[in-house]
Amino acid sequence: METYNPIPWRKHENLDKYAWKKNVPVWIGGKKVIADRVVKTCCPHNCYDTCGELVYVKDEKVIKIEGDPEHPITRGHLCLKGFANVQKINSPDRVKYPLLRTGKRGEGKFKRITWDEALDWMVDKIRSIQAEYGPEAIIEYCYSGNREHMAKSVAGRLWNLMGASKLVGSFCLLSGVAGSVGTVGSQFTMDPEYWAENCETLFLVGRNCTATNPHIFPFLYKAKERGAKIVVVDPYATGVAGKADIHLRPRPGTDGAMALGMIHWILKQGLEDKEFIAEKTVGIEELRELVEPWTPEYTEEVTTIPKAQLIETAELLAKTETMFETGYGQQRYSNGHQVQQALACLAAVCGSFGKKSANYDCISGMAFPGITGFADGAAVSVPKRAKIPPARMINIAAIARAIHEAKEPPIRGVISYRGGLISQQPDVDYTIEAVKKLDMFVTIEQFMTDDTDYADLVLPGCHYLEQYGVHPSYWHNYNQILVPVVQPPYECVPDIEIFEELGRRLGYGRYFPKKRTGLDYCRMLIGKECDFDSMVSPNGPARNPEKWCPEVPYQSFDTPSGKFEFHSSVLEERGKKYPGHYDPLPRYYEPDESVAATPELAEKYPLNIISQHPSFRTHSQYYNLPWIREIEGPARVFMSRKDAKDRGIADGDRVRIFNDRGELENIVARVGIRLKPGVVEMSSGMWVKLGGSVNKLTKLVPAGPRDILAEDGILYDYNPLLDGNTGSYFNTLVEIRKMEDKKEAEQ
Amino acid sequence: MTDFMQQRTLYIDTRRCMGCRACETVCKLENDLPAGPRFTMVTEVETGEGTEERLNFLPMPCQHCGDAPCVRACPTGALFKREDGIVLSEQERCIGCHECLWACPFGIPQFGSNGLMQKCTMCFNRIDEGGEPACAHNCPAEAILCDTVENVSRILRERYAKDANRMGGYADKLD
Repeated sequence: METYNPIPWRKHENLDKYAWKKNVPVWIGGKKVIADRVVKTCCPHNCYDTCGELVYVKDEKVIKIEGDPEHPITRGHLCLKGFANVQKINSPDRVKYPLLRTGKRGEGKFKRITWDEALDWMVDKIRSIQAEYGPEAIIEYCYSGNREHMAKSVAGRLWNLMGASKLVGSFCLLSGVAGSVGTVGSQFTMDPEYWAENCETLFLVGRNCTATNPHIFPFLYKAKERGAKIVVVDPYATGVAGKADIHLRPRPGTDGAMALGMIHWILKQGLEDKEFIAEKTVGIEELRELVEPWTPEYTEEVTTIPKAQLIETAELLAKTETMFETGYGQQRYSNGHQVQQALACLAAVCGSFGKKSANYDCISGMAFPGITGFADGAAVSVPKRAKIPPARMINIAAIARAIHEAKEPPIRGVISYRGGLISQQPDVDYTIEAVKKLDMFVTIEQFMTDDTDYADLVLPGCHYLEQYGVHPSYWHNYNQILVPVVQPPYECVPDIEIFEELGRRLGYGRYFPKKRTGLDYCRMLIGKECDFDSMVSPNGPARNPEKWCPEVPYQSFDTPSGKFEFHSSVLEERGKKYPGHYDPLPRYYEPDESVAATPELAEKYPLNIISQHPSFRTHSQYYNLPWIREIEGPARVFMSRKDAKDRGIADGDRVRIFNDRGELENIVARVGIRLKPGVVEMSSGMWVKLGGSVNKLTKLVPAGPRDILAEDGILYDYNPLLDGNTGSYFNTLVEIRKMEDKKEAEQ
Repeated sequence: MTDFMQQRTLYIDTRRCMGCRACETVCKLENDLPAGPRFTMVTEVETGEGTEERLNFLPMPCQHCGDAPCVRACPTGALFKREDGIVLSEQERCIGCHECLWACPFGIPQFGSNGLMQKCTMCFNRIDEGGEPACAHNCPAEAILCDTVENVSRILRERYAKDANRMGGYADKLD
């Protein structure tokens, strides 16, 4: 039997203090079990819902999870992944101790080492890289696997002390945010119960609620039962589109054109909210001029949305009290910022701001609590009295490019946690080549993933139920602090304690006091801005203060003009400084790769592949769990009957999907109505080594407005809210063939 | 013969089910099941044409049939129907003959690694304590109802009566 070494520096707290209840009987497998304690926490897995959870613990093991019925939004319900956490945290496949690579990168051969050996190895590597190339040759890689903000700030404290390069940006939504901030100013969301009770139309764009926002449904049904109309915009026939009165299915990447076409019609018919436009907006005349060519006929030509449907929807949005709930799918194209800018303008033309019945949700500023000021990131990441050298920034949306191209200094060491670098970045092969160039690639992981195969050192990381965290939702406004519900198992160590101990061994001991806990760091982050203790189990969740989350937002705008800006002054100004698509108006242009933008490429690869976030996973997480694999089945590609017939493909056939960047084999074709001809879909997050990673096909071309590729992703000034950047995963062209066709060709 | 209207039933409002599949894992957890036996499964159904193409969902737990064919087919009496209508199997008496699977119109009976029949129990242990099945308790779309046939029928009629959308809603006011 395997034994685990004690880790003297790993903190140990009595977790009973977080018990919401003790000695609670609970059913498992038809047997009554007495749980030692039940603890409240929340899920930080980068989803709108940020569910309140009740976690049952017995003998320091998680035995059951339920939704917290006291959470006003998630109301005691969890998604399929929520329950699968019990299988995940107790999985026999967890990384249990530090592993040092013995084979070649990618071979997956390792030997067990102790934590002391692992940290000594890291300290040696870091010192030698720093000595040869300078401190900026090292950078973290971290994203939203566990999206809470506290550990990133603690890690930031170490990177700041070390003078490492700073990781900035996003590859999932900041393009849309830039378009939205440029027109609207600070971002807020309205509690869903208001629109559920008051809206007459709910307009959902680019949001597959089934997978990414399931708790919206009771509110949506409430609105629907009152008589509200539901309009869904999505190229895919999603679950929520199945509930819609009108389902618009634009050609991928043309949602911005759709919005311009609707604005054209609304203005032409004089249906706009004239009072709102006169009092609260600037730039309507320029917008009017911009949309002049976007007749229903031309809009249909670009978007493929039937003219009649477009007109019907435009009139519905303008004539009724419309709630705009925009998602993020529509902005995962190189023109993503323009799409959101145009949608915000559409909402303004309809007067959908500042009302319980009609408002506009893109993202709550709580998604970026350090930027809004709700979280005092600097209180944690910038230690007092320490000298912090200025450091260059690397944009995560082009990190592989930066690793390939950075020269002064090159990037030689990456410490990765909470993100799948290889599976989630576009163009897998290019990313792998980048990783192979590193002198040091360390991953903190719970499982042996695509990333660990290429790592020099794998450190046993903790599940979110084993550590602290702060994760305010970016949709609703209730907050529950993450607390560890169980002690870390095996030789696993919470992320912050790894950074603290590494910091101590690098000589920064005074900045990482041993008595400080994750809860202390959480309090340093947000304690000044809210009633912190009311959010910590056994308490919580509590609403974030009105100052940060007004109940009915957008009564006014904090743009330079103090009004909604059809003509965005901030984007115009920013465009004078940096290369890119900074347009003060939501001018439409084609995505980087599409049948219209690259017709020659489309002759070879005529199918636009989009990749949804499925219910089954948070990006690449949960994919390895038996419950999830059983439900999901083999990797599938969904396609229209026409595209299948043209290629002699029948439902259930094995196919290969390919373009110049890569190829996937033995994918199961699912033929039906979910996509229009010319569009295919394969969900994102399946692992590269298991053969289903759609990112083998996608291209590294970050969405704007800033053209960060022109700078190789290496930045010295960056404004996340205006510069944007999103992986344009969905403007990807491919071709699909039956597997047999290849075999025949080879014979 | 028991009163049909007083039989307990699991009713799934397919107008509300949106295919999140949370019922599948909450069921696994509640019943402590490995991969293999599936007590409920969400099936996906594509319907319509043109602008009316829609994806619909139909979760398939045991129907706990009024006159359950599996109970009649079971040669050992391992399958039985409780007074309140819940169909249960007693593993001690099951011989793994699969007769129930042949009889069931819905393919519900599951066979785990011990080869014996298992299936949805409607979480009778939770019901006996005044609770509801794990899937109904958790459903994020609030699509699953568990009650007597009489009560489910009443709830659905009330919902229908209150549902303004069946009348067309606000859009009718447009013209």
